[in-house]
Amino acid sequence: MKERILIANRGEIALRIMEACKDLGIEYVVVYTKEDQDSLHVKLAEKKYRISDYRDMNDLLAVADEVKCTAIHPGYGFLSENYRFARRVVKRERSLIFIGPSWEAIRDLGNKLFLKKLAKNLGIPVIPGTTEPIYNEIEAELKAEELYENLNSQGINNPSLLIKPVAGGGGMGIAEVKDLEELRPTFRKIRAYAKRLFGDEGIIIEAKIPLLQHVEVQILGSKHGEYVHFGTRNCTIQSLSKQKRIEIAPGFNYESKYTFNFKEVEQNIINYSLKLAKYLNYDNAGTWEWLITPEGKYYLMEVNTRIQVENEISAKISFVKNKQINLIKEQIRIAFGEKLGYSQKDIKFKGTSIELRLVAEDTKRGFHPLSGTITKFRWTPQSWLTVRTHVPQDKPYTIPTQFDPNLALAIICGNNFEEAKKKSLEFLNDVIIEGYTPKGEKLITNIEFLKEKINELYKFIET
Amino acid sequence: MKLEWHRKLKELLDTAIYIKDIKGEDFLDISFLIKEISKVYEDFYQYDENFIEKFLMQVESRLKFIIEEGEKTLTPYEIVKIARHPQRFTLQDILENVYDSYMELGGEKELNIDPAIICAKAMIVRKVENDLYFHQVMVIGHEKGHGEEFRQGGSAKPWGNEKALRYMKMAETEGTPIHFFIFTPGAYPIEDYPGSAQQIARNLYYMSKLKVPTIAFISEGGSGGAEAIGLADIRLMAEKGYYSVISPEGAAAIEAKLKEGRPPRELVEKCAKALKLTAKDNLEFGTIDKIVPEPPLGARKKDYKFFKRLKLELIRATDEVILQTRSLKFLRKYVLSKQDTEDFKFFVNWNLDEDEIEILIENRYKKYKKMTQWAVCEPKNIFKTFFDFGHNLGLKFKNEIKYRVLKPGHRGFKKFLEELTTESSLLLKPVSDPVKTVYNIIVSKKIRPKLPTPILEEEISPYTSPLALEDKTVTCPEAEKYGCPDIWVPDLYGEFCGVCPNCGYHFPLEYKWYLNNIFDKNSVKIFNNDIASGNPLEFEGYAEKLKEARKRTGLKSALLSFEAKIGGISLVAVMLVGEFRQGTVGVAEGEKFIRAIELAKITRRPFLALVHTTGGIRIHEGTLGLVQMPRCTMAVRDYVDAGGLYIVIYDNNSYAGPVASFLGSAPYQFALKSTRLGFAGPRVIRETTGQDVPPDYHSAENALKRGHIQGIWDRRELRKKLFTALLTMGGKNLYYR
Repeated sequence: MKERILIANRGEIALRIMEACKDLGIEYVVVYTKEDQDSLHVKLAEKKYRISDYRDMNDLLAVADEVKCTAIHPGYGFLSENYRFARRVVKRERSLIFIGPSWEAIRDLGNKLFLKKLAKNLGIPVIPGTTEPIYNEIEAELKAEELYENLNSQGINNPSLLIKPVAGGGGMGIAEVKDLEELRPTFRKIRAYAKRLFGDEGIIIEAKIPLLQHVEVQILGSKHGEYVHFGTRNCTIQSLSKQKRIEIAPGFNYESKYTFNFKEVEQNIINYSLKLAKYLNYDNAGTWEWLITPEGKYYLMEVNTRIQVENEISAKISFVKNKQINLIKEQIRIAFGEKLGYSQKDIKFKGTSIELRLVAEDTKRGFHPLSGTITKFRWTPQSWLTVRTHVPQDKPYTIPTQFDPNLALAIICGNNFEEAKKKSLEFLNDVIIEGYTPKGEKLITNIEFLKEKINELYKFIET
Repeated sequence: MKLEWHRKLKELLDTAIYIKDIKGEDFLDISFLIKEISKVYEDFYQYDENFIEKFLMQVESRLKFIIEEGEKTLTPYEIVKIARHPQRFTLQDILENVYDSYMELGGEKELNIDPAIICAKAMIVRKVENDLYFHQVMVIGHEKGHGEEFRQGGSAKPWGNEKALRYMKMAETEGTPIHFFIFTPGAYPIEDYPGSAQQIARNLYYMSKLKVPTIAFISEGGSGGAEAIGLADIRLMAEKGYYSVISPEGAAAIEAKLKEGRPPRELVEKCAKALKLTAKDNLEFGTIDKIVPEPPLGARKKDYKFFKRLKLELIRATDEVILQTRSLKFLRKYVLSKQDTEDFKFFVNWNLDEDEIEILIENRYKKYKKMTQWAVCEPKNIFKTFFDFGHNLGLKFKNEIKYRVLKPGHRGFKKFLEELTTESSLLLKPVSDPVKTVYNIIVSKKIRPKLPTPILEEEISPYTSPLALEDKTVTCPEAEKYGCPDIWVPDLYGEFCGVCPNCGYHFPLEYKWYLNNIFDKNSVKIFNNDIASGNPLEFEGYAEKLKEARKRTGLKSALLSFEAKIGGISLVAVMLVGEFRQGTVGVAEGEKFIRAIELAKITRRPFLALVHTTGGIRIHEGTLGLVQMPRCTMAVRDYVDAGGLYIVIYDNNSYAGPVASFLGSAPYQFALKSTRLGFAGPRVIRETTGQDVPPDYHSAENALKRGHIQGIWDRRELRKKLFTALLTMGGKNLYYR
């Protein structure tokens, strides 16, 4: 049977999936909403359907049935980590292939508490804290005291604690407690907030890591029990709302000095990530996010059961039998049941790659997203530069207000860190984005922010 | 002389019209006779005296013949018509003629909180040879007022029943016996503050332990309205009265599945017969204790002989109740049973002392517990009966020892020990404190209090509802209001628990879902499953329906009773299952409820009633079903007074009888969202009150606003909430306290 993929996403990921499909010789169908009708992915696709919302499962599946698709690629964001969608895609009468891990894996890894419990049982280090939701204050205080003493005994003086709703995500409703005396009022406040926002009063208490780096491991598993990794990435530079802005692969600077043995740490987090992936029979691309402290301690934070935005920087430095890898292509191949065809031994890493996210936002005012029209978007093409964008360069483009105002991803390659950094600055000085806001003012982007922050790569930051 | 004749003629005319109303126009040329009488009546002064005298004699004997003939062919539906006729005696007539003096309390005609209910303090006189003895009684009853508009035909509004309850309490404090008179077609079905169901439930709950003798007299006993003041030690019934679970018209409308309009007359007559609502049938069933005979075709306003008889019966009934509580009673009881004139041979003091009150309440409980037990369909087996008896006795004995003898001792000792240590620690504080501080510095560990509550383990057995097996989407009924997206059925009936994730609308789920998703894994143990619903009235066509329901659901009755655990706390639970005849309650259901709640009482466990759906009392079991209302409410009262924790949870639809009694009287009642709950459905409300109700009239939100329930829960959180409820509610008598 002829395979046909429904691309249930927009923007640059849609374009990249289209590209991968073309390379693999698989047909594809795109969907788009009213706001995206000028977008590049719509322009380039032959078969396209307009739907009401990228999150509307009913619409997506109706399109899939109409065009007789055999698989769905969810991209990132939207429904990509919704296990109900994954399950529905697989479990319906006219079953489709979900390009991503099994729905059970999405469900189990998406549940932070479950992940934490599971990791603890497997001996994987997680951020010290409770693994059960807490509902009452007395219990909370006891748990907090215990945690406080525990951290003290580990040599961390005056640790702060974080109080988080179980059901939350994306940094919502997290409060910091510096003194145990504050715990009860804060706990009550967060519990009320959680009840109002998520309908679940469960609260967890975790230690706050004051200085950290954010390193993630790219894992790929197949349906045949094969597991490989594509090294690490460092995504420490983020916006206020914890959205990544600059990513770099590999995750550790091989030329600089750490107070700890970074090679051992890297090997450990990779091994632990693979251990968990194997335990869950994880069968697609996924990212294991870790926190690294200046002391060389590492904690598993969460698992992203989807392709990441920054997957390409790992691809750029990974070579399988001297050929560069394309993770999206691998994802699709695996989903259709193919074997990997190589093992970890065949993967070699070479060079450094940096990804810069160009976003229309006001970095000085709390990363406030902006909308408007882009009139000019230009850069000088270079051999070391790949720019991924859905913004057309030949005509004005209006940024839709419904989605994140991501404009482009610039991927820069270099032989080593210093070279990649230099080239990045060169690109940032060269790129021109002009436009105006609906009020007629000049459109601001985060280029200045990126220029400034590029010097902080590989440094520990305060949270 | 002439004037008297004229009056007499008028009376005869009324009688003739009465007969016509009851027996129909074609009965023995009654219409012709009426025409003749009215002609003479109108042109009275044109006829000469001889003619009139003769005419009167003729008519009188003719009417007497007709009445006798009519009595012979009386059908149940005609009895219903007699009981409803405006010429029938009312409570006012009884107060005038039976009691020797009375004072109406809280009402004079229209100036009354509810003119359909009359409360009066009355005096009844007993003649013993030449002495007169006065007894005080509280009279509470419905007043039909010979068709007076404002009386609503004796339909008591909730606040009318509340007034009745208030005077019951009054009589209780004064220690005077209460005589209830029931003349109601049913309660006025409105939801208010409180609603009908709620108030009836409160009345029943209170009446089950009223500390004074109570006598009820039923002339027109319509369903819940009758029960609201009908739980009495002795129930008398007028010979031409009816006592029924539903009006024949209502039954016919249900049988014909009518949504609008009136049911056909033939069906109504058929239903009246099938419902077995006459005094004779009810006496046979044991739902009443005695019939008060009436003249042919029923007593009317001026049947003084009947009132005399009624007075005698009332005194005798009260005596009987009183004598049941006395230790020395043999002779008097014997004499009483031979009593049939108004001259009493002895005087009975109607005041009770403490011990006698206890016996009175115990007798009442026994009486209602025994009622309708003959109709329970249960596989009988001498060995099993014997075993059950022994088992019950053993259980009782064990628990009595455990909780009444051992636990208080244990508790007392613990309390004493605790107090002793606290006292002594205070005394030793100056000595021990420095030591403690040093100890703490060295060991540097704080002493932590123990966690007070056990923790509920979340994950329980994954049970998938069969509804979730289809691959399709459904639209939420409130999608227009809240813009909910369509929901995929496997999601909806899977982990959404049948709840729309956007607006929280609750879709109905099958009863098995609750059994599998609320209680701890493998903890549900169903008992008394052999008790089956039967067809005691031999209602036509009902046996087939019952068989069909049994086959479809695999259940034997609409009520499941089981033991289960939530978070390790053992409880006894019952569940009214909507799939079996709409969760209606009949003899089997009532009996199972009572046995379950008694088990909970003996073993001191919490008792949970889950209402999947209930459509009310099962009409096919007539009054046998109806008396489950007082029966079960008494068991509830007994359980709650013994220190039990009774929680009711409503889901889907809950209406009528059960809500107005053993469910509505629970101290803790919770409804799931999207539940509809009330006394009567919109159709019945429209027919009785002539008003249309708004669509959200019976919603759980409105029930909460009216104060009927204590809270609205989400089905997704049901297990958690129940667990919290078990921990926080209930007194110290529960086994885990």
